[in-house]
Amino acid sequence: MASLDMHATVNGREVRKPAGSHMRLLDYLRDELNLTGTKEGCGAGECGSCSVFVDGVLMKSCLMPVAKAKGAVIETVEGLAARGELSVLQKAFHKTGASQCGYCIPGMVMAATAALRSNAYADREEIKERLGGNICRCTGYQKIFDAVELARDVGNGTLTARALEAVDEERQADSFIGSNVRRIDAPSKVSGALKYAGDMVVPGMLHMQVLRSPVPHARIVELDVSEAEAMPGVEGVITCRDVPGTDGFGVFTHDQPIMARDRVRYVGEAIAAVAAEDLLTAKRALARIKLRLEELPAVFDPEAALAPGAPVLHEGAPDNVVMRIPIRKGDVDKALAEADLVVEESYATQAIEHAYLEPEAGLAYLEADGTLTIQSPSQNITHHRHMLSKILSLPINKVRMIMSPVGGGFGGKEDMIYQGMLGLMVLKTRQPVRYIYTREESILSTAKRHPTRTRCRMGLTRDGRILATEMKLLADGGAYAMSTEGVMRKAAILAAGPYAIPNVRIDTLGVYTNNTPSGAFRSFGALQSEFVTESHLDICAEKLGLDPIEIRRINAMRDGAVTHTKQTLGSVSLLKVLEAVEKSSGWEPGPPGVRGPERADLGGPGARRPCTLGARFRKPGADDKQEVA
Amino acid sequence: MLNCDEYLTPGTLDEAFDLMERHAGGYRIVAGATDVLPWARQGRAGDVHYPALIDISRVAELEGFERRGDRLRLGANVTFSDFMNDPGLREALPIMPQVAVWFADDQIREQATLAGNIINASPAADGTPPMIALNGSVTLARRRGGKRRERRLELVDFVTGPAATRLEEGEILTAIECDLLAGYGTAFEKVGHRRSLVISTVCVACLVKLDREGRRFEDVRLALAGVGPVPARLDECESFLAGKPVAAESVREAARLPMGRVQSRTRREYRREVVFNFVERALVDALAALGVDLTPQEPVLQKVSHG
Repeated sequence: MASLDMHATVNGREVRKPAGSHMRLLDYLRDELNLTGTKEGCGAGECGSCSVFVDGVLMKSCLMPVAKAKGAVIETVEGLAARGELSVLQKAFHKTGASQCGYCIPGMVMAATAALRSNAYADREEIKERLGGNICRCTGYQKIFDAVELARDVGNGTLTARALEAVDEERQADSFIGSNVRRIDAPSKVSGALKYAGDMVVPGMLHMQVLRSPVPHARIVELDVSEAEAMPGVEGVITCRDVPGTDGFGVFTHDQPIMARDRVRYVGEAIAAVAAEDLLTAKRALARIKLRLEELPAVFDPEAALAPGAPVLHEGAPDNVVMRIPIRKGDVDKALAEADLVVEESYATQAIEHAYLEPEAGLAYLEADGTLTIQSPSQNITHHRHMLSKILSLPINKVRMIMSPVGGGFGGKEDMIYQGMLGLMVLKTRQPVRYIYTREESILSTAKRHPTRTRCRMGLTRDGRILATEMKLLADGGAYAMSTEGVMRKAAILAAGPYAIPNVRIDTLGVYTNNTPSGAFRSFGALQSEFVTESHLDICAEKLGLDPIEIRRINAMRDGAVTHTKQTLGSVSLLKVLEAVEKSSGWEPGPPGVRGPERADLGGPGARRPCTLGARFRKPGADDKQEVA
Repeated sequence: MLNCDEYLTPGTLDEAFDLMERHAGGYRIVAGATDVLPWARQGRAGDVHYPALIDISRVAELEGFERRGDRLRLGANVTFSDFMNDPGLREALPIMPQVAVWFADDQIREQATLAGNIINASPAADGTPPMIALNGSVTLARRRGGKRRERRLELVDFVTGPAATRLEEGEILTAIECDLLAGYGTAFEKVGHRRSLVISTVCVACLVKLDREGRRFEDVRLALAGVGPVPARLDECESFLAGKPVAAESVREAARLPMGRVQSRTRREYRREVVFNFVERALVDALAALGVDLTPQEPVLQKVSHG
C-alpha cells in the first residue's frame, strides 16, 4: 500500500502521520486518528454524515482525497467543545430531542455550526438551506431545526443559557407519557462519542469483504478460493463449505444459507468472504477467487412465479409460494350481490429501501473461554443467536450477541443478514473480524419492503355502510423467505382496517422470485394492505357523495368490537382520532373532488412548507418572496 | 475506491506540466474531486488506480476571473461557491448564483469547480447550459518542447458526448470565457431529486433581453441539458422568439418546439412534459426578472411539479 506524507492541525493539535494513498480525509480521521465521530453514511457526498471543517469551511470529508487536506486546519465534531463538555449547539440538540438514531447527528451538528457561524441570526429558512447537504432519516428535521434556532437565540442572548437545561415543569407528576423526556444517550450522540459497530476496533482486527453474485439465478459450477487464500495478508476465506452446523436462516422458514450453496438466487447474494489484515488486501483477494456460474432462467414477477412451468427457486416450495394467509368471515358473495354499490380497483406498491444512515456493520471476536461474540446493530439478537448456534454448531451459551447502537433500522436490521459470515470467519481465523457495508452493497443486497399488487372489491349501502370487502394481495417475497410469512399474516389481519364489516374475504400471498429478498420494514405488511383499504374508501366516498371522514365514522369499530380475526377489543380510539384529525387539520368537509383545485385547508398554520432555495440571500428588509437567488 | 501511487499538488502551471510529462500516460488531473471519488465506486468505475493524481486546485494561475471587453475569463479553479459569494462574479454573471444554488449543497459547492463540471461532460451537467447560452469557450493549454501553447474551442464543440470531450492528452483546461451581458433577465430551472444529490433529470438556462420599449424580444438564449447526450442551445426557440412581441402565447408556442429533442432512454414522455413546462417557466421567470409578468393562469400540464 502506497503511503503519503501527511500533516494537519486537527482539533487544535498538530498531527504528523502518514496516510494510505487510497484514503479520503474521512478514512484518515477515522482509521488513523480514531476520530470516529465523523461517520460514513454513503461515501458519495450525498448524506453529510462526514461533514468537517477544513480551514474553516464545511466540507464533506468523503469527497476529499486526504492529501488535499495536507497542512490544513481541520475541526471535527470532537473538537467543537472542550473535552467532556458540549457546545451550545450540542446542548440544544440534546434539549430538543434532535437526535434519534444519532448517526447523522455529528454531521448535522457540524452543518448547524457552520450555519450559525456564517449568520448568527439565520432564520429557519436559511437554517434549512444551510443544512440541505445533510440527510436525517429519523427525525423529519423539525427537532433539528428547533435545536439550531434555540442555539441561535442563546448565542444571541435572546434566551438565557437556562433554556438549554432540562426544565422540571416539563415532567408531569408521575408519568413519562405527555412529558418532554430527554434521551439519556443524546450527549454521546451529539458529541460523536457513541461507538457504532463500524466505529469499533480491537487489536489484531481483520477486515472482511464479500464476493457477491452478479446474476439473479445461476448454478455455481466452480468456486475456487485457493489463490485468494494464499495471498500474503489474507488470513481466511470462507464459503458455505466451511459451515460446521445446519446451514439455513430466516425468521420462519430457514431457507437461506449464510453464503450461497450450489445456487445463487438474486443479484448481490453472498458467495464467499475474505478476511485480511487490511481492507485493500481483502478487496484484492476477492478478485482472485475463481467463480464460474451457469445462468438459470430467472423469474422477476410474482404472478409469473406462480404460473405453471415457472423457474422454481426452492425445492421445498415447488409452487414458489412462501406463505398464503386466508381470512373468511360471513358470506361475501351474497353481501356483494345485495350491495347498492360495488367498487373494484387494483393497487400496487413498490419495493422500498430502508435507507438508514448507518450501513450494516459488525465486529466479531472470540472471548477467552471460546464464546463467539458478535456486535452488530441487529434488531433481533435473541433470534439471531439461536439460529447461529445451530448454523455454527456451538452450544447456545457460546454464542453472544451484543446489540450495538442502531444507526437507524426501520425493520431493515431485524432479519439476519451478515452475522453468520462474521461468526464463521472468526471461528476460521480465530481472530477478531470487522465488516462494514458500503452504501452500494447495502442497497444492492439487503432486504426491502415487499412490493405488492392487490385487487380489492367492496360492497356498500347507499348510506355508506360497508357490507363486504374482498381483497387479494400478492407480494413479491424475493429470493428467500426472511420475514415474508409474518408480513403476509399482518397484512391479512389488518387488511380490512379498523372497520366493522360483516363479510370479509382476504387472501395474502407471498411468493419467491429472483428479486432482492423482501423483509421486515416498519408496519410489517400493514402499510400495503391498509393503503388499499384507505384508498378504496376515498374512492367509495366520492362515488357515494360522502365526506371521506364521514364514511370512516359510519364504519368505525367501536368499544367492544370483535375484529375479523375474532379478537375482542376493549376500547377503540378510532372515532377520537378521526375527530382530532378533523379538528387539527382544519378539514374542509365534503366529498372528495367537489372542491376544485383550491382547498381552503391547505397551506394553513401547522402545514409544512419545503425549503426555499436561496433563502439566505434575502434582501435586507425584503419579505420572503424577494430572493436574489 | 480511488487509489494512486502519488498524489501531487503543483503550485504553478509549469509544475503541473512537469508532472504531466513525468507521468505521461499514467496520470489523472483532479480539481475539486467531488465527481471523481463517487465515480470510483461500485456500480460505476469500481476500484480505480492511477500512478499519479495531479491536483491542480493549488495552481495560482488558475484562480480568479477577469473582465476582457465584452467577455469574462474564468480561471479553471473558480468554484460554484465563488459564483454565489464573490460580489464581482455575482454582478458579472447573475445567472450563475441561480445555477449554483441548484447545483449541490454548500459543502460540495466549496470544492467543485465549473471547469470540472464541464470536463466531466455529464449529459446532465448543471454548469454547461448557462455557459453554452453565454457563448462559452474553453482554453486548453499544453506545453511542448518547453513552450506553452493554447487553443480555444467553443464549448458546444468541446463537449462531444457523455463523459467525452475534445481535451487531449497533455492538455489542461485553464479557463472558460463567456459573454458579459447587461440588461438580461436570467433564470435557471432544474428537475431532480433532492438538490444535494448528484444528477438533474432536466435543467435549462435562460437569458432574455427585450427591446428598448420592453415590447419585443431582442435576444433570447436558451440551453438545455439532461435529455440528450450533450447539453444543447435551443436555436429553434431563440429564433422563433427573436423580434416577436412579448406575449404568453408566443412563449408557450416557443416552449413546445424543443420537446422533440428528448432522446433519453428512459421516461421520455415524462421528460418531454418537463422540457415543455421548464422552457416555458424559464422564459416566464427570466421575463419576471425584467419586470414583465407573464405568469400563466394555469399551467398546461399540472402534473409536472417543480423540483
